Amino acid sequence: MSETAVVTVAPSAAFYVSLILYAASALLFISAFVEAPRWMAPTARWALLAAFVAHGIDISWRGVLHVHPGTSVREALGLLSWVMVGGYLWWSRRFKLALLGAFVAPAALAILALARLSPSGEPMAGLSLLGRIHISLATLGVAVFTLATFVAGMYVLEERKLKRKEFDGVLYRRGAALESLDRLSHRLVVIGFPIFTAALMLGVVWGAQRAELLSRPEWWISLVTWVAFGGLIVARTTRGWRGRKAALLTITGFSASAAVLAIYLARRALGG
Amino acid sequence: MSSPAGGAGELFVVGLSWRTAPVAVRERLAFRDEEIPPALADLLASPDIDEAVILSTCNRVEIFGSTSPGGGPGARGISAAAQARSFLARSRGVAAEGLSDHLYERVDDDAIRHLFKVAAALDSMVVGESQILGQLKDAYGAAGRAQAIGAILGRSMEKAFQVAKRVRSETGISRGAANVSSVAVELARRVFDLMGKTVLVVGAGKMSALAARHLRVAGASSLIVTNRSPERAAELAAEFEGSARPWEDLPHLLAEADVVLSSTGATEPILVPRLVKAAMKARRWRPLVVVDIAVPRDADPAIGRIDGVYLFDIDDLERVVAENLKERQKEADAAMEIVEIEVGELRRWMRAQRVVPTIRSLREHFHQIAMGEAERCIGGLGAAAEQAEVQKAIRRMSELIANKLLHTPLSALKATEQVDVETMVEVTQRLFALGGPADAPGGPAGQAGQTSAEGAGPGAAVTAASSAPTSASAPASARASAAAPASAAAPASAAAAAPAKAVHSQGKKA
Repeated sequence: MSETAVVTVAPSAAFYVSLILYAASALLFISAFVEAPRWMAPTARWALLAAFVAHGIDISWRGVLHVHPGTSVREALGLLSWVMVGGYLWWSRRFKLALLGAFVAPAALAILALARLSPSGEPMAGLSLLGRIHISLATLGVAVFTLATFVAGMYVLEERKLKRKEFDGVLYRRGAALESLDRLSHRLVVIGFPIFTAALMLGVVWGAQRAELLSRPEWWISLVTWVAFGGLIVARTTRGWRGRKAALLTITGFSASAAVLAIYLARRALGG
Repeated sequence: MSSPAGGAGELFVVGLSWRTAPVAVRERLAFRDEEIPPALADLLASPDIDEAVILSTCNRVEIFGSTSPGGGPGARGISAAAQARSFLARSRGVAAEGLSDHLYERVDDDAIRHLFKVAAALDSMVVGESQILGQLKDAYGAAGRAQAIGAILGRSMEKAFQVAKRVRSETGISRGAANVSSVAVELARRVFDLMGKTVLVVGAGKMSALAARHLRVAGASSLIVTNRSPERAAELAAEFEGSARPWEDLPHLLAEADVVLSSTGATEPILVPRLVKAAMKARRWRPLVVVDIAVPRDADPAIGRIDGVYLFDIDDLERVVAENLKERQKEADAAMEIVEIEVGELRRWMRAQRVVPTIRSLREHFHQIAMGEAERCIGGLGAAAEQAEVQKAIRRMSELIANKLLHTPLSALKATEQVDVETMVEVTQRLFALGGPADAPGGPAGQAGQTSAEGAGPGAAVTAASSAPTSASAPASARASAAAPASAAAPASAAAAAPAKAVHSQGKKA
């Protein structure tokens, strides 16, 4: 990594350790998904925990060197995967989420790789405190939504298997109960929504300060995310929306926020 | 002891199971509980049978036993098996020729393996089922009370229970419902946790009663029964501490319940889309599992397409069972690996049992010679050997020479392969002119305790100790305690149980 900018710091050794551990955990989770000796999924979880700790050390070390996670898309993506993994580890204590690990661990690895490959390592010019808070909160919100979406995706897959009465797959044998996936996904949406709302509001203020045009597509796409998740919460409380419909809406909302992230990445890459 | 070779007996099994005999044959051979004690006594009266367990279930009738000590490799087992065979025919009043097609017999390692497979439900019709282990334990208990258990069979049975436990916990052989009535639980669990859920039984059939019982055990908190005839509903509700509700309430009940078990005799579908859709709305789309056990079906297949409704009919239940059994069969391979390891372990123990008496007498023989020569030497030296240190040194030297000379033959005996045991034992006995009462298993108990612990290697004494007296059901100790004077001197020795058996069998034949 180049050291041109003052606040750009090469990854610490802990970062590379976490990469290796993420990869090991992903591999173990995926093999556990396919054909599982009993030790595999717990081992994968321990590897993921170790990766999480190493990754956390890297993030804090960079913080000490004044590389705030909210200063660039690259740092934000790192934080995103870290929060997502932390959330997974937390909830997998109480839910049967071993199968989900086969999605979460590779996703964390992919996000980190994407962040490293992205040419947008330098912090944004003239990033105000408001901007940093906006980016951090948005990252946090999207991280929680990402996890909610993985859970919702799991729900959709399992539900389809059950409705089609396919009793021979791994999803039928070792998946969590549909209702618990539905509840977990909803709980995550409820946690992520206020964070995301705050990020959105700060973003509007920040954008106005920088006199950004509201016609930029990311504004509208972010709004789709907000409406999807907000609508989901309302529909669930008032009309008892749940299950497949809720899961599909969660996935829609997340896709919108992923699109926003992609736009940011592209914009930074193109120097916009 | 009838054979000069001494040593412990070997395991055999004779019997038939669902694999080899149709129910018409099995039912003729089955033993009622009260028939077992006299049958065991009858068996033990056979010349070559020293211990016996009779296992009689609806799927198998088997006699596990151990032979009297001695004989060539396998020879005793085979003749004992033949005796058990004729006993079976005689005691059941069946022509022996009619049975020979169905009966199988296994001796030695094959018998151990068979026992382990039976205990671990690997030989069961439903692989991994849990009943057989209980039945085997009962059979073992009955044999213990009938004083038909000694060291070999006791140890083998206890080991079989351990193997069964290991297989159950280390493989997925018992995973997944294996019968239609418990599949409802498995399917409902795919949708939600059953804790605190409500079960609705529509139509009070026997099958739904069974399924309801399983759901109740799995955590469902309340049970509602509704039936066209209210009396039957009340009956079933009372049986499961549930509530009976009128048939007309069905639309409301569907909104209350989480799992519906339907098995009415109706010819037209009862659970139709209109009814279920209204119920789903009323229950705010909380998921509903409908298990339709009735033929013709009670549920219109269209309700399965309603969001949040999970409908399973009798074919689905049977398919789940079939899938589960397939999975269990896959796990059986892993289970067989465990069985093989454990067979090897028990085989080593048994082999040690066979060479122990010979090792003991060989040691005795050498030490007697060494000590005799040492004393003669001391006597011959006269005054020169008056000092205590000198005497001690001479005795010690002769002791050391004896030990050195013993080292190689003893190692060879301990390392003898299963097939060579009898030959090795016989050769050793002839080479050193061993034999006589001292080397029979019923030899002096004090020596037995001392030498067997050394002779059978470091682990043997410990494992032997755990074989009989420490077991929970412990009928193995029943027979061992018959020889209390001998075993009391060395209760934890590998050989301690052997004298017990010897004393008994001598008593029996007297």
